[in-house]
Amino acid sequence: MSHVNFENIGKKYGDELWAVQDLNFEIKDSEFISFLGPSGCGKTTTLRMIAGLEENTHGKIYFDSEIVSDPLNGYFLLPEKRNVGMVFQSYAVWPHMNVFDNVAYPLKFQKMNKDKIHDEVIKILNAVDLKGLELRKSHELSGGQQQRVALARGLVMKPRILLLDEPLSNLDAKLREKMRKDIRQLQQEFKLTMVYVTHDQREDFQMSDTILVMNRGKIEQIGTPDDILNNPKSEFVTDFIRSGE
Amino acid sequence: MKKLFYIISLLIIVIVFIAPFVNLFIIPTLHDFALVLKNENTIKAIKNSILVSSSVGGLCILLGLPLAWILTRTDLPYKNIFRTWFCLPYAIPPFVGAIGWIILANPTSGILNQWFGLHLNIYSFTGLVWVETSFLFTFVLLSSLTILDHMDSSLEEAARLSGASGLRVFIDIAIPLLKPAIISGFILSCLATAASFGIPALIGGPARIYLMTTQIYTYQRMGTAEGIQMSIALSAILGLTTLIILYGTQYFFGSNKNFTVGGKTSRPSLVKLGNLKIPILTTLVLILFIIFILPIFGVLLSALSPIQGSWNISNLSLSNFSRVLFHTEETARALGQSLLLGFLAALICTFFAFFFNYFIYRTKWIGRDFASIALSLPFSTPGTILALALIVSFSRGFFGFGPSLYNTLWIILLAYIIKYLSLSLKTVGDGYQQIHPSLEEAARISGASWLAVMRTIYLPLLSSTLMASSFLVFMPVLSELTMTILLTGPGLETIGPLLFQFQEYSDVGGGGAAVLSTIIIAFIFILNFTLKTLSNGRYGL
Repeated sequence: MSHVNFENIGKKYGDELWAVQDLNFEIKDSEFISFLGPSGCGKTTTLRMIAGLEENTHGKIYFDSEIVSDPLNGYFLLPEKRNVGMVFQSYAVWPHMNVFDNVAYPLKFQKMNKDKIHDEVIKILNAVDLKGLELRKSHELSGGQQQRVALARGLVMKPRILLLDEPLSNLDAKLREKMRKDIRQLQQEFKLTMVYVTHDQREDFQMSDTILVMNRGKIEQIGTPDDILNNPKSEFVTDFIRSGE
Repeated sequence: MKKLFYIISLLIIVIVFIAPFVNLFIIPTLHDFALVLKNENTIKAIKNSILVSSSVGGLCILLGLPLAWILTRTDLPYKNIFRTWFCLPYAIPPFVGAIGWIILANPTSGILNQWFGLHLNIYSFTGLVWVETSFLFTFVLLSSLTILDHMDSSLEEAARLSGASGLRVFIDIAIPLLKPAIISGFILSCLATAASFGIPALIGGPARIYLMTTQIYTYQRMGTAEGIQMSIALSAILGLTTLIILYGTQYFFGSNKNFTVGGKTSRPSLVKLGNLKIPILTTLVLILFIIFILPIFGVLLSALSPIQGSWNISNLSLSNFSRVLFHTEETARALGQSLLLGFLAALICTFFAFFFNYFIYRTKWIGRDFASIALSLPFSTPGTILALALIVSFSRGFFGFGPSLYNTLWIILLAYIIKYLSLSLKTVGDGYQQIHPSLEEAARISGASWLAVMRTIYLPLLSSTLMASSFLVFMPVLSELTMTILLTGPGLETIGPLLFQFQEYSDVGGGGAAVLSTIIIAFIFILNFTLKTLSNGRYGL
C-alpha cells in the first residue's frame, strides 16, 4: 500500500473554467479517506486523477516518492501502469465475461500462471461472499452482487490504492448497510489505502478515518469525522452536514 | 501508440477522402466551364436532371409520407409485414427494377403490352420518373417511419380529443410536425435521382433523355481530351451543386432534430380506420404489387423464358441460366470479383470504423469533427463524380507518385471503400455510444494497454455491430454500377457493369440481364435474411 500526495493540483478547461484548483493534501498509508461534497464539486475528478483517468493540468501527484503526474515536465503515468484498483458507480462489470473472468482480468497483465490466477480469484471471491457464482454473467447477478464483483476485481490486483466512486448509491438501504460494513472490514483486513467518494452526508462518511469536504473545486475542510461534525470550519460545511439530518 | 494510429488515420483521410475531390473541383478552368456550358447536350442534361429530380422528389413525398403515417398510427392489420415489404426496394439495386420495367413495358414486346393490349412505353419521361420513384420513395418512407416511431404521440392524441378525425389529425398535426422530414425527404430523393446512373442509363438512354450523370459518362466515353475535360467540368458543376443544396437546406431549415420528440416510445392510441380498413388494405396490396412484385415477376419470367419477347408461363426453362453462367466466360469472373471486392471493402471499412470511431467517441482530440465530415461527404456525393475524382487523381499514380491504379481492381476497391465507409462509421459509432466508458476505464485500471482494451473489451462487445457493418457495406458493393462502370476495363468485370453490358449490347435478345438480376435479388434476400436472423432483428429490413 502507498501513500498519495497532491501538490498544488489543478485542472482547467479552456481559459477560465477550473474543475478543481489548489488541491494540497496527503493520503496516508492504509488510511480510509472519504471525499465528500455536492455533485459537481470536483470530488470524482480528483478521484479519477489518482487513477490516471483524468489528467491534471497543474501541480504534481506522488505515489510514495514516485511522481505519477507532472504536466509541467510533460510526465504522465498511464492508468494501466499505476496499479490502482477502482470500483465504479456503474460497477462496470463486463457483460461479455463471467464473474471469474471479470475478476481474473487484471491478473492476466501480471504475467501470472493459470493455476495461480485461479487460486487468487477464488480467494478473493470468497472474501467478498461470491463463492459459487464464478460462471454467472453480469445480467444474471443482482446489483449487490455486481458491486461485489467490481470490488473483487479491484482487490485481486493487490492495488497500491483502492478507489471507490459512490459505490453504494445504486443499492437499496438494507444492502447499503451491509456493504458499508463489509467494505470497512475488507479495508482493515487488507490494510488498504482507500479513497471513497460520496455525497451522502449521513452515514457513508462516518466509517472513514479522514474526511475531505469539497465545494466548487476547492477543499473546504480536512479532518476526522468528529472534527467535521463538531468543528465545521465554514458555513458551507455546517450547512452541508446539517442538510443530511 | 494510440496517437500514432490517429495520425495515420487522419493522413489517410486527407489523401483519399479530401485530396481527390479538391483536385477534381480545381482542375476545370473557366474555359472548360464555358466549353461544357455552351454545349447543347449539357444544357439539355441539366434541364432534364432538374425536371426529373423534382418530379421524383414530389412523388416520393406523396407516396412515402401517407404510407409511413398509415403504417405507424392506424389500426391497419398486418402493419409489420407491410413495413418489411415496403422497405424492401431499398435494398435492391434500382437498375434491377429498370430491367424489370423494361421487360414489362417496353413498346415492342413488353409483357403488359402483349398480355393486356396496353400501349405502355417505359422509354419516356413518365417511365423514367416512375421507375425512379418506385425505388426512391423508400428514402422518405424510412426516415418518416423513424421519426413517427419516436414522435410524441400525445400531440396527436390531444388533437383527437379536441374532436379532430383521423384524417384531420394527419393534416393538422402530423404534417406540420413532419415538415422538416418532408423537406429533407424531398431534397434527399431529388439528389438521389440526380446522382442515379443505372435507371437513367437503361431507360433514359433509349428514350434519348440524358441526365447529368449519363451525360458525364457519355463525355468520358468519347475518349478524346476534350471529352474528358467536359466530363470533369460537368462533374464539378454537379458535385458543387449537390453540396450546396445539401448543406444549404440543412443551414436554412436546421437539422432534423428540431421537432418535438418524446424521450419515451409511448404506445400511441391508434386511429381507427373503420369502414376504410378494407379499401386501404386493398390499395396498399395493389401498390405493393405494382411497385415491387410486378417488376420482379418480369425479371423472373424473362430469365426463365427461352425466347425473349414471346411471353408464356407454360414454356419456361433454365437455358438462359446455363448459357450465362456456364457458357459466358465473363460471368464467373464477374461473380468472383464482385464477391472478392465486397469482402475486402466490408473488411476494410469495418476495421477502419472500429478504430476511428474510438477516436470520435472516446477522445477529445483535434480534427475529429473535421474528419467525420470528410468521411461522410462521399456518401452523399454522386458516384459518377467520385469515380471521376479517383481517375483524375490516381491514374498516373497518386498525383504522379507510385504506380497507376487506373484499370486495376484497386481503384474500384478504393471507390467502394470511400463511398460506403460512412455506413460502417454510422453503424459502429452507434455501437460505441451504447457502451459505457467505465467498461474501458475498468480495463485500463486493471493494467490493459489501449490495444489490449480494443481487443478484450471493445471487440467482443461490438462483435454484432461489426458484423452488421460488414453486411451493410457488402450488400451495395456486390452490385455497384454507377462508379464501377467508369472504373472498369477488360478483365475487371463485376456483376453490375456486366449486367449493363448484357442489356446494352452483348445479350440483348437472351435475357442475360434478367438472369444476373435474379442472381442479385437472390443474393440480397439471403444476405438480408441472414443479417436479420443473426442480429435478432436489430439490423436488416
